Order: sequence, then structure tokens, then C-alpha cells
Amino acid sequence: MKRLLLTSILAMAAYGANADEIRVLNWQGYGTDLDWAVSAFSEKTGHTVVHEYFTSEQEMLTKLRTNPGAYDVVLINAAYTAQAQEEGLIAAIDKSKISNMADLDPGLVANVDLNPGGSMHGVPWTWGLTSIAVNTNDFSDLPTSLSVLWDPAWTGRVSIRDDGLEAVQFAAMATGQNLNEISDLDAVKAKLEELLPQITTFWSSENDWNQFMSAGDFAVATYWSGSASRSIAKGLPVAFVVPEEGALGWLDGLSIPASSTKQDAAHAFIDWMVDPEFYVKWDADGAPATSNLKAAAALPEASFNRKVLGDPDVVAKVQFMKPVSDEKRETYLKLWQDLKAAQ
Amino acid sequence: MSDLIARSDRLRAAALLSPAYIWLTVAVFLPLSAMIFFSLLSDVPFGDRTWHFTLENYGAFFESTTYARLLWKSLMLGVTVTVVSVIVGFPCAYVLAKVVRGRARGALFLLVILPFWSNSLVRIFSWAIVLRGNGVLSTAIDAVLPWDVRINLMFSPTAIVIGLVHSYLPYVILTSYLALQAIDDSLIEAARSLGAKRRTILLRIILPLSTPGIIAGAVLIFVPVVGSFMEPRLLGGRLGTYYGTVIEDQFVAVFNWPLGAALSFILLAVVLTILAIASPILRRAQV
Amino acid sequence: MSNRFLSRIGLLYLGMILFFLYAPILVMAVMSFNASEFYQLPFSYSTEWYERLQRNDEILTAAWRSVWIAIITTIIATTLGTSAAIALFRYEFTGKRVLQVLLFPPIAIPWLITGTAMLIFFFGVGIGRGTPAVIIGHVALALPYVIVVVTARLSTFDRSLEEAARSLGASAWQVTRGVTLPWILPGVIAGGLFAFAVSFDQFVVSYFLAEPGDSTLPVLIYTAIRKGFTPEINAVSTIIIAISMGIMLLAARFSNFGGER
Repeated sequence: MKRLLLTSILAMAAYGANADEIRVLNWQGYGTDLDWAVSAFSEKTGHTVVHEYFTSEQEMLTKLRTNPGAYDVVLINAAYTAQAQEEGLIAAIDKSKISNMADLDPGLVANVDLNPGGSMHGVPWTWGLTSIAVNTNDFSDLPTSLSVLWDPAWTGRVSIRDDGLEAVQFAAMATGQNLNEISDLDAVKAKLEELLPQITTFWSSENDWNQFMSAGDFAVATYWSGSASRSIAKGLPVAFVVPEEGALGWLDGLSIPASSTKQDAAHAFIDWMVDPEFYVKWDADGAPATSNLKAAAALPEASFNRKVLGDPDVVAKVQFMKPVSDEKRETYLKLWQDLKAAQ
Repeated sequence: MSDLIARSDRLRAAALLSPAYIWLTVAVFLPLSAMIFFSLLSDVPFGDRTWHFTLENYGAFFESTTYARLLWKSLMLGVTVTVVSVIVGFPCAYVLAKVVRGRARGALFLLVILPFWSNSLVRIFSWAIVLRGNGVLSTAIDAVLPWDVRINLMFSPTAIVIGLVHSYLPYVILTSYLALQAIDDSLIEAARSLGAKRRTILLRIILPLSTPGIIAGAVLIFVPVVGSFMEPRLLGGRLGTYYGTVIEDQFVAVFNWPLGAALSFILLAVVLTILAIASPILRRAQV
Repeated sequence: MSNRFLSRIGLLYLGMILFFLYAPILVMAVMSFNASEFYQLPFSYSTEWYERLQRNDEILTAAWRSVWIAIITTIIATTLGTSAAIALFRYEFTGKRVLQVLLFPPIAIPWLITGTAMLIFFFGVGIGRGTPAVIIGHVALALPYVIVVVTARLSTFDRSLEEAARSLGASAWQVTRGVTLPWILPGVIAGGLFAFAVSFDQFVVSYFLAEPGDSTLPVLIYTAIRKGFTPEINAVSTIIIAISMGIMLLAARFSNFGGER
């Protein structure tokens, strides 16, 4: 109650005092640009929010490099935070300006990828899995192993995303390797060579995926957990599976560009994004898992995130992605490109 | 006197040419020069990244056979689409220019051009709906034939060719029409009255006179198709990796602009070489 | 095989081609009335997407912006392109070959490259992003097409007509206006139609050069693929095609384009 009063007073003070316009750089349709969320924020703090989007992590980095001072909040996947920090693109987070910091999962707060150089450069925001999803019209019993992607029964009805890094990582998991320490690249290559003839087409966005799935083009395909919850909510015949070999885990953090001139407003926006009030409403429409333990606990029982990602057995199988060096990335991409070209 | 004319002619030529070419210089050639510069770098010169001059991006083309094979695949696609478009489009242009009369001609001509204005992405998606397993084509044929038919043309080279021919057909119809329409009907009348057979008229009069139009259309089709990436990616599925899609990857997903730039200039060089080799042959085909 | 019969076959063929050209357009239009969000058959009628479209300010503004950018691009590109084509046709001079070859890079190099190059260059030079930058880019991409198309038409033009007019005392401008232009008008109009198509459908260059928030329709569609490609896109495309068709048919009715030769 006291906090509410305090916030209101601060808000009223902020209204007249310094109403900033902050620019947020994120994937399109990924939480920060929800109309109701933005208006709620503006009402509370007086700051206005303008969005700009990217369609790949590389594009995000380019935009940061070529537009100093243009952005105030940017979404950076934890695997890229260190790189952004090294290049001097992002500033350290002032934890005292994030009122919800205490409720965030301590494991995520201390995540080494979000804290390059020992200080936090990205506030843990959402996390999720990339795993496999199946068409329930084809599967009466859910598969338990990644090998279903290679099953000849599904030739021509399998799909993965057209991303070299992800393809290599999946093949690594399928050959029993740690996806961040791939020692046997030849095994990975052989596995991918066997996978490609299974594939009908590659998907590149949630929308693609939904269309192909509803047309019956896919029997089993890789997919993101947050998107899976949305697709299921839309009534598509989909079930999300975390196989025994594991799933790719990713962690997204909200960072503040070093060149931003509105860091206070930026911190306030990030604080709102990790706030339970925002998250619970977002989750109802389909969202990735939150870093805020209190918010997670506030989710309804039937919520996808609660059921799937709240299960400790599932979480134990997840391999979180770590930063990949440029040379390794190039090797993987070249590998993937050569394989695709040989089709 | 003749010197003065030549001078004023030159001024006139310059006046007519400069607006267009200055515009092109500022908007295209200078930026592309920046791109050539990029293609010679090891990394993009943004932010704190280190870079140096190198020919390795061009060298990458020769390092493995992948790029060369993909370029060949794209060139073949270009040839296929161009040939199909010309064969399909020229008769269409002929009918439009010589068979249809009166006001209908103008209206039909515009109708042929109209699909051109629809958004290409929406069009490609519509083709997907037509060609796929449960799509319009399959459903329609299934309804007509007595036995159970499921046709799925999607994610195949056929689908890519269909999509590209559909997108680029109006080019060759248009340019051929412009050339055909200029052919004086009385020329054909005269030939006929002299007893020439239809085939002779076609081969000796119509084709030679409309060749400039056909060639212009063919070039406008061949050149962009070789570098295309939208149709191959969306309609080709797993088989949709072409030279153009690889270039797109470099810019959109991989962020290796120097490599992407180098690959595009190699593409440009190859295409120009082909056109240069073909041009004397094409010139002889014209009367 | 009588002439009549061949003509009939010819018209039938033309009909088939038109059907082929319009197949996806028809599908696009029909799907705009289909209830399924994921473009699934069987068809069930619904005007939901059109209703949603009415409330979707973003798409409507973007569509409108695309239209007038395309109109401006067409006017500029057609004027500049026709002048250049006439000059290339009429005069001989050193470097002419080079100028002709220079028309190829914009067409050959994927627009993705040219767009990125423009972005970098404009940024460095101070033109930056925004609608003027978009128009500069669009005109540049449309110009080669206009020049090639008008040139194709010019190649059928009898130069001696021009010389005859000159020898009768007409000035260069009078020759152009009275002799050349009427002949090549179909080519000029065709070039204009091309320019409009190039601009209206252009998303790569617009994506890079447009001010975020000031999108054009193709950019919106392209980015919508990531977010959610609902049939509202079909609805707006159908409306645009319907309006274009209306304008074109009106134009065909009242003008003698195509010519009674």
C-alpha cells in the first residue's frame, strides 16, 4: 500500500517534471510493444514509448552500432550481451532503479552471461525453450526423443528453423553432446545430412509455423515455448515436447545502450516489464517464462508456462545457450550453408 | 556550321541524359561503390570492430564449389524462367497486338499489367495456397476427377518456376507488345498479297521486327531472376537454396556484409559477361 | 486452317494466360473473405478481415503512403527516363556504350544489396532516412526499367521521320513533341506503369530507408510475416487491385492508349 502511494506520488511528480520519450528496440510483437502495456506505463510515469524492430540478432547489433543515442532500451539475448558489452554498446544496469529486482530469480540475476565484467548489463526478463512440437493429429502418443525428427515415418513432414547455429545445436544434442562444447563436428555434420532429406521446408517465424501446421504440412517441427503456448491457445492441434536429450534454453535480457540519454526512464520501463502486474496479463495471451519468481507464482495453474516450464524435471534437461565465438559461428554457418546448397 | 550543330546536339544530349544519370549516380552508383569498398574489407567498419583490406571475400567464391554451384543453379533458373516466359508471353503479345481490335486492346493490355501491381509477397503466398497439398489446385482437380487425387507442387523447383514466370511474364508481354504493335499492318498485307505463307510471314517479317522487344523483355527477366531470393525461399522449401538466398543470408541473418557484397559483384560480373557474349549473336538476329 | 479459326485459338490462348495471371489474385481476393485465420480451406464466408482493416490505422496509412510515393516516383522516373532514352537513341557519342551498360547494375544486383548500400551512403552523406530518401531510392530503381522499355519502343521508330521534320525547319523540341513522343507514347506509358509497380511493391529499399513508424505497405507486409500475417493483408491488397482495375478500365475507355494503328 505504501509502495503504491509512493509510486503514485512519484508518478505525479514525474509527469510534469521530465516526461521523456524512450525508444525501445525489440522483436516485433514481443511483449514490450503491447498497446495496453505501453499506455499503462505512460499513465504511470508520463514517459512515452516508441518502438523500433529488428528481425535478427545481427540486425539488432548493427542498429546499435550505427545509431548511437537512438535507443534507450534494447532486448539482447544473453548469448550476445557479452559481445555488446565488449564493443561498448551497452551500459551497466543500476540495480537500485529496478524495484522488482529482489523478486527476480537469483540464479538468473547472477547469470554469468548477463554480467560480463562482473556487473549486470542486462536485466533477466524472459526465458524459454526451443524444443520440438508435434501435430496431435499425427501423434496419439507423444514422442520422447529427438530421434523422432529423423524417423522415416515422418519423411517430408519435418521442419526446423533455417538457422545454422540452431541446426548445429540440435544435432549436437541428438548426438549426445553439450551444445556449447561441441567436440565432434563430423558427427553433427553427418546427423544433419541425414536430417535434411526429412525436411519439407524451413520455417522462419511463428506465423509461418502456424500456417504450415494448420495446413498439415508438418508432423513434427522445432518451435519456441512461448510461441507454442500461443499456437495452442489459438486452437491449433499442437503439443510441445521436451525430449530426453534436452532442449535449447535461451534467456533474454533488457539492456540499456551506453549512448542513451534517458537512462532513468529506461530503467523505469524495464522495471515495468519485470513487474508481475504486466507479466500475468501478458502470459494470458501467450508469453515466454518470466524471470520474476513472484510473477511466476501468480500464474494460474493451467497456464502453459506453469505446467511445462515450472516442471523441475523439464528444467533439468534444458541446456542454456552460451555465447558463441565469431569463428565458431562462421564455421557452423558455413557447414549449414554447404549442406543446404547440396540439396 | 556542322560544328555548331554537333556542339548544340551534344549539349542537348547532355541535358536529356544528365538528370537521369546524376540521379542514378547519387542513389545507386556511389552507394554501390561504397559496397565495393566493403567487399574488400574483412569486417564492417562500424562500432569498435577492427578491419583490414583483403581479397578473401572474393577468394571465398573459389575456395569451395558451393558458391559456384549455386550460381550455376541460379543461372539455369534464369534461363528456364526466361525461355518459358518468352515462349508463353510472345504469342500472348502477338494476339494482343494483332488479333484484338479497338478499345478492347487497351483494356486487355492494362489487364495484363495489373497483376504486376499486386504485392509480390502476397502473390507468392497465394501461389502457396494454390499449389500446396490441400490447396486450390489439388482440391479443384480432385473435384473433377473421379478418383482420389492429392497434388502437392509446393517446395519444388516447379513451384519456384511457376512463381517466377508469373511475376515476370508481364515484362516480356509488354516489351514484345510494344515492338509488335509498331509493325505496320500494311507490311503484312503486302507480303500476303504477294503470296507469302503464314509461316514465312512469321519467320521473315514478324519475328525479326519484334526481336528488339523480345530481347528487352528477356533481359529484364533473366537479370533479376538470377539474383532472386523471395520465390526460391518461399516456394522452394528445403530445395530453395540459390545464389540469391545465400546473398540475402549474408545481409539479413549472418551479418557478413563484405562477403555478401563480394558475392553480388561476382554475380554482376557474370551476368554482364553473359550479356556481352550474347549481344553480337542477338544483334545478328535483328534485321 | 482459316484465319478466323486461328484468331479464335489466339483469343482462347490470351484468355488462358489471363487466367494464369489472375489465379493468385483471385485466390488472394477470395481468401480475404475466408474466415480462417490460417488460410485454410474449406471456405467459409466472412467479412471480418475487412472490418478489422477499417480499424487498422497502421495498414491504411501505410497503404496510402505507398500510393502517393509511387505516384511521385512514377512522374519523376518516367520524365527522367524518357529523356534519357530519347537521348541514347538520337545521339551518338563516346561513352554511350558505358551509359547503356550502367543501366544493368540496378537491375542485376539484388535490391537487398542496393538497399543496404543506399542506407549506408545516405546515412554517411546526410540524406538519412525518411520519405525523401525513400523516393530517391524508388526513382533510382525504377529508372533503368523506364529507360529499357522506352528504348524498346524507340527501336521501332524510324529515325528518318525525325530527320525529315528537322530538315523542314522544326526545332529539336518541336520534333520531340510532335513526332517522337506520339510514337513512343505507349512505351512511355508502359514505362510509367513499370515505375509504379516497382515503387509500389518495393519493400527492401523502403525497409531500410523509411523512418520507423512511417512505413510503406510492402514493408508492413514483410514485417508482418514475422508477427502475424492475417488476411487483413489480403483485404487491403484486394481493395487496391479493385481500385486499380477501376482506374485502368476508365483510362482505357476514355483514352486511345494502345492506339488504333
